[in-house]
Amino acid sequence: MRTQHLARAAAVLALALAGVACGTGGSSSSSSTQSGTLTVWLMNGSAPPSVVDGVNADFKTQHPNVKVNVQIQQWSDVTTKLDTAFAGSTPPDVVELGNTLVAKYGAAGALADVSGRKSGYQNSGTWLQSLTDSCVVSGKLSCVPYYAGSRAIVYRKDMFASAGIAAPPASMAELMADGQKLMAANSTDADYSALYFPGKYWYAALPFIWDFGGDIATRSGSQWKGTLDSSGSQQGLTTLATMVAKLSRADKTGDEAKQDQAFVQGHIAMLIANGWEIGVITDPKTGDPTLKDKLGVFPIPSHNAGQVAPVFLGGSDLGIAAKSKNQDLANDWVKLLANTKFQTQMATVGQVIPNTTTLLDLNKDQPLIGTFAQAAKNSRFVPNSPNWANVESANVLPDMLVSIFSAKASVPQATASASTQVAQILNAKS
Amino acid sequence: MCAAPMTTESAPAALGPRTGTLATRPARRRRLSVRAAPYLLIAPTVLVIAAVMAYPLGTLVSLSLQHYGLRELLAHQGTWVALENYRAIVADSLFWQVVGRSVLFTGAGVAISMVLGTLLALLMERVSGPVRLLLSGGLIFVWATPVVVAIDIWQWMFDYEFGVGNWLLSNAHVANLRHYNWFENPLQGFAIITALVVWGALPFLAITLYAGLAQVPRELVEAAECDGAGPWHIFWQVTAPIIRPLFLILLSLSTIWDFQVFNQVWIMLNSRPSSGYYLMGVYSYVESFRVDQFGSGAAIAVVMVLVLLVATFVYIRQMAQTGELDR
Repeated sequence: MRTQHLARAAAVLALALAGVACGTGGSSSSSSTQSGTLTVWLMNGSAPPSVVDGVNADFKTQHPNVKVNVQIQQWSDVTTKLDTAFAGSTPPDVVELGNTLVAKYGAAGALADVSGRKSGYQNSGTWLQSLTDSCVVSGKLSCVPYYAGSRAIVYRKDMFASAGIAAPPASMAELMADGQKLMAANSTDADYSALYFPGKYWYAALPFIWDFGGDIATRSGSQWKGTLDSSGSQQGLTTLATMVAKLSRADKTGDEAKQDQAFVQGHIAMLIANGWEIGVITDPKTGDPTLKDKLGVFPIPSHNAGQVAPVFLGGSDLGIAAKSKNQDLANDWVKLLANTKFQTQMATVGQVIPNTTTLLDLNKDQPLIGTFAQAAKNSRFVPNSPNWANVESANVLPDMLVSIFSAKASVPQATASASTQVAQILNAKS
Repeated sequence: MCAAPMTTESAPAALGPRTGTLATRPARRRRLSVRAAPYLLIAPTVLVIAAVMAYPLGTLVSLSLQHYGLRELLAHQGTWVALENYRAIVADSLFWQVVGRSVLFTGAGVAISMVLGTLLALLMERVSGPVRLLLSGGLIFVWATPVVVAIDIWQWMFDYEFGVGNWLLSNAHVANLRHYNWFENPLQGFAIITALVVWGALPFLAITLYAGLAQVPRELVEAAECDGAGPWHIFWQVTAPIIRPLFLILLSLSTIWDFQVFNQVWIMLNSRPSSGYYLMGVYSYVESFRVDQFGSGAAIAVVMVLVLLVATFVYIRQMAQTGELDR
């Protein structure tokens, strides 16, 4: 029986170790780049399939013997996949990176320096400033601007009309007043939200912070100073908190992942959304096509009447992996997707903001999408630091918003602690 | 039959060879080979375990002694910092909260799943054939559901906006859970997560224990009944001692599984759990892959291994002692 005990003990021991070893690992990536194959990672929902096919077709005429393997990645755990892919010896040759992630990977040396190739990209002289800034890491161009997105308020024109509101609000005070009219007109609906605002939706909270002169952090010399507790930031957050308390029945601790599905249910008048979300809302499969004629868009108004609040310019850049063995091929592929032909398609088919100011007016006459492009003109960005991704990972802003909205902490308390945390992370040596 | 004295030790004693008698054999060489045999038999297992486990574990420990950020990851070269990572996590109050939370979560999860698993096994033993088939079929279905799919389904069931669970509980007038967020309060959130983990663990526990119950000699139970023992007594005095080794191994396995729960928290909270939801595995992952401090993430994982080793050591000793009794 002794052998049995030993075996049993060994088995339990082995399981204990196996359990822990597995628990710490994440997903594994296996991308093997054979000769003649170019691997491209694009994010879910970035380029419409027709654009990808078009780029590949044009690439094929340049390099008939190279096979292009485009893989679509999901946003939720992409940093883990990127970490492991860049650490390996055969990373994807071309990667789409969210513009807040470039600084981190650029600083770590994961991306090829394309400064010398800049003049070879079409429209590189008129790239969107904010996207170009996100690509410049320690003075070197580490990526190519791909496309941008900004947020505005999507609203139900029919609900506004039946609540007796003639025009979209022109100031934050009017936004609040209109919201209260909508809540009163729909007081029998226990699910109704005049402005649907999930608690963790920090991208949508930034315009309020910026509009009152606040910010996330400011740099003086080499040190970052957290400014979420500045009086401007606090004013903005207090204004937002009042709105959320009075106008929103969204989950105060939830995120915006399901907000379009919620909007389609018909109990929401206003939603802070990206341009592409219009497509989700009116899609026959994911949404309700009959809403198309009932939708309107207006920029988030400033507290100064007649002005518009600055919005966060989200977007993506295209990077070439420093370890890629196909640098030139990768560059040719990037050149295509970033050129006028395909950026025009990104704007018209993909309905995003293209990478160059010369194409910004493409959607000017589109009543819905046009507003988003106009909103992008007054846009801001998060602190451009390699450590910014860690601030996002640590959920500093969502946690701060949740504690304010669910009244777990006062605005001064919540902002003071978030501000300290932001400064601590940004100033940490990586 | 009822006259036979009730001895729980007699049954296991009848099983297996009596190693004690072997020592009396005269041939010396024979004795040596007999002594070596168990080790020879276990050698392949030990070798495989060493090959599969020692390398990653060694890497983990060495990683935990280095400063290893993203730059180091790409260059495959860390900076040696000795015990600095351990010093940092020990000084971090969040770390101790996470350890405490993990221990509590594991304790609750193991206790609930073992009790329910045993009850289910006892039920399966008593129901009629077709019902048992239905029951085990249901259990197998639960078992066969891929974890990620199961978590997604549970997430939708308790969704703030669309949750059918909330709808059902509201319409059954249990409580008004319309627009109710289970995850606002981590205690309630962990109630859902524990339910999900227990639900996933039950099939294996119930079916294994049911198989174990089949080993309990019928006549022992009948003898106890003749002596006037009630169901409660029979379970504790007859059934439980016989399946005790099985209990112990299931307890240790459950402890290991529940202590390293990761997916259920991670996926349920959309890959962005707040720090109130960190268990040790989650915390280690966040440190490694979200904050890119692979060294400190590894240190947390090493502490996890140590905690599990201590916990399982108790079980292993218990098992060894049970074995002594078996002789």
